[in-house]
Amino acid sequence: MNSLIKLELTRALRNRKFLFFSVMYPSLLFLLIAGNADSTSKVDGTGLTLPTYMMVSMASFGALTAVLMGNSERIAKEREGGWVRQLRLTPLPGRGYVFAKTASAAVVSLPSIVVVFVVAASVKDVRLDAWQWLALTGAIWAGSLVFAALGVAIGYLATGDAVRPITMITYFGLSMLGGLWMPTTTFPQWLQDIAEWLPTHAYAALGQAIEQSRAPHAQDIAVLAVSFVLFAGGAAWLYRKDTLKA
Amino acid sequence: MTTTAPVVAFDQVSKAYGEVRAVDGLTLTLRPGETVALLGPNGAGKSTSLDLLLGLKQPDSGSVRLFGTTPREAIVAGRVGAMLQSGGLMDEVTVAELVRLACDLHPKPYQANDVLARAGIAQIADRKVNKLSGGQAQRVRFALATAGDSDLIVLDEPTTGMDVTTRQAFWATMREQADQGRTVLFATHYLEEADAIADRVLVLHRGRLLADGTAAEIKAKAGARRIAFDLEGTIDEAPLRELPFLTSVTVSKSGSAAGSGQTIRIQSTDADATVHALYGLGVYPRNLEVAGLGLEQAFVAITTAEEAKSK
Repeated sequence: MNSLIKLELTRALRNRKFLFFSVMYPSLLFLLIAGNADSTSKVDGTGLTLPTYMMVSMASFGALTAVLMGNSERIAKEREGGWVRQLRLTPLPGRGYVFAKTASAAVVSLPSIVVVFVVAASVKDVRLDAWQWLALTGAIWAGSLVFAALGVAIGYLATGDAVRPITMITYFGLSMLGGLWMPTTTFPQWLQDIAEWLPTHAYAALGQAIEQSRAPHAQDIAVLAVSFVLFAGGAAWLYRKDTLKA
Repeated sequence: MTTTAPVVAFDQVSKAYGEVRAVDGLTLTLRPGETVALLGPNGAGKSTSLDLLLGLKQPDSGSVRLFGTTPREAIVAGRVGAMLQSGGLMDEVTVAELVRLACDLHPKPYQANDVLARAGIAQIADRKVNKLSGGQAQRVRFALATAGDSDLIVLDEPTTGMDVTTRQAFWATMREQADQGRTVLFATHYLEEADAIADRVLVLHRGRLLADGTAAEIKAKAGARRIAFDLEGTIDEAPLRELPFLTSVTVSKSGSAAGSGQTIRIQSTDADATVHALYGLGVYPRNLEVAGLGLEQAFVAITTAEEAKSK
C-alpha cells in the first residue's frame, strides 16, 4: 500500500490547482479577512482577536479543502473510469485504496495548516505558547479525518458528473455555515442555532478552545465524534454496496 | 500445493440482472498451460463471466474456483493477472510510475523495466497515462496484467483499439505469455485472433456454453468444410443434393473463359465422403478445392443455428 500512497502523493503534488486551493488559498483568504483588522478588538464572546480567531478558522478550512476535495472527486471519477476495478485485481485490500487516498490528502493538509499559522504569526503578529501551536496543529490535522471520511462517502455516493456540484455545495455550505469564513457570532440567532451543530463549527471551536487555553466544550467533541461515526459508517456502507455492484 | 486443482473451475454458475440471465448454468474447466479464447456475440455474457471468474461479481448460484481457492484468494496469492475492458488507469501519472506500482503490488513481481519492454511500451514510459492512444492504453493495461509471475492471465478484448499491424504484433506478446507455460484466457470478437492464438475455443451464447473445443473442432461442428469445383456443360442439381454429409449446395455459371461451365460450391461435414460420392455420380470435377470454413463462418453458423432453435 505504501507505493500507492507514494504515487497518490506524487500526483497530488503535481496538481497545481489542487495545491493552490488547499495550501495557498486559505492563507490568502486569511489575509483578506483579517488583513485590516486591528490586533486589539476582540471577536464577541471569545476573548480572541480577529486574526487569532480567523487563523484557526482558515487552517481548519485549508485542511477541510485538502481532504474533502482530494477524496470525493477523485474517488467518484476513478470509480467511473474503472481504476477502482483494476485495483481490485491486485492483492491490495479494497480499503487500501481509501486509506491511500486519505493518507495522501493528510500529507497535503498539514502544510495548508502550517502555512496559515506562519502567515498569521508573521503578518498579523499572532502570538501563542509553544504548546498551543503544537496542540492546534495536532487537533486540526486529526480533526480533518472527519471530513476525509465525508469525502470518501461522497465519492462513493455520487457519479462522476454529479460529484463536483455535490462536493462544492457541501464544502461551501459547511465552511460558511460552520463559521470558517466569518465568526458565527455575526449570524442572526436562528442561524447560530443551526451552525452550532455543524461539524465544521465544532472543528473550529476545538482550535479556538486551545487558543483560549481552556478545555473544549463537550458538545463540540460529541458533534465531531458523531459526525465521524456517521461519515465513516456511511462511507463503509457505500463502499461495500459499490463493491458488490461493480 | 494445489497443483492438481484446475486453473479455473466454474460449476453450474448463474448470474442474472433482473430478468436477463447473463450467465446461465455455466460449467467449465481450464487446465494448466492452455490458451483459451472466449468467443461470443455482444451480450453473450463474456464480460460477466470474466467478472465472476475474477471475483468482481458474485454468482447467484454455483461456484467459481481458481486453483482450488476463491478468486480473491488466488489474486492475493499473485496467481492471477488480468486486464479488463472496463479497467481504468490512474490519471496524471506516467506509464512507468503506474507499471512500477503494479509491480510493487504483485507478490511475485518482475522488474518494471522488463515489464515495460515486454509490453512494448518502453518508449512511452515517461508519457502521462491520460495522453495515450487507445492501443497504447491497451498495452499499458496488458503491462499491469503481466507485472508479476502469475499462473493465469485473463485478457478481456485485449486488442480493441489497435490497428491490424499492432494487433498482430500484440499477438506475439500474448503468445510469449503462453509459451512460458501460463494459462491464458482471452475474450475477443476478432475470430482471427482466436484462430491464430488459442488452442481451445469456448463459444458463449446467451450465457451458455455453445461449443468447446479446438478451432478445428468448432469449424467441424459448424459443417465446416467447403468444396468447390467446376463442371463442363450443365448438370442436373438433384443428384448433387443427394450427396452424403452435405449441408448446402450452390450452383452458378463459372466465370472461366471456357464457356458454358458451371461452378458448384458445397458445404459438408465430411468432405472426404462427399467427394468420394461425387466421383460416383460419374462427373469429372475440375479445379477441385477442399478448404476449411473460416472460424468466423463457423461461429456465425453455430450461433444462428442456436438463435433459430430458441425461437
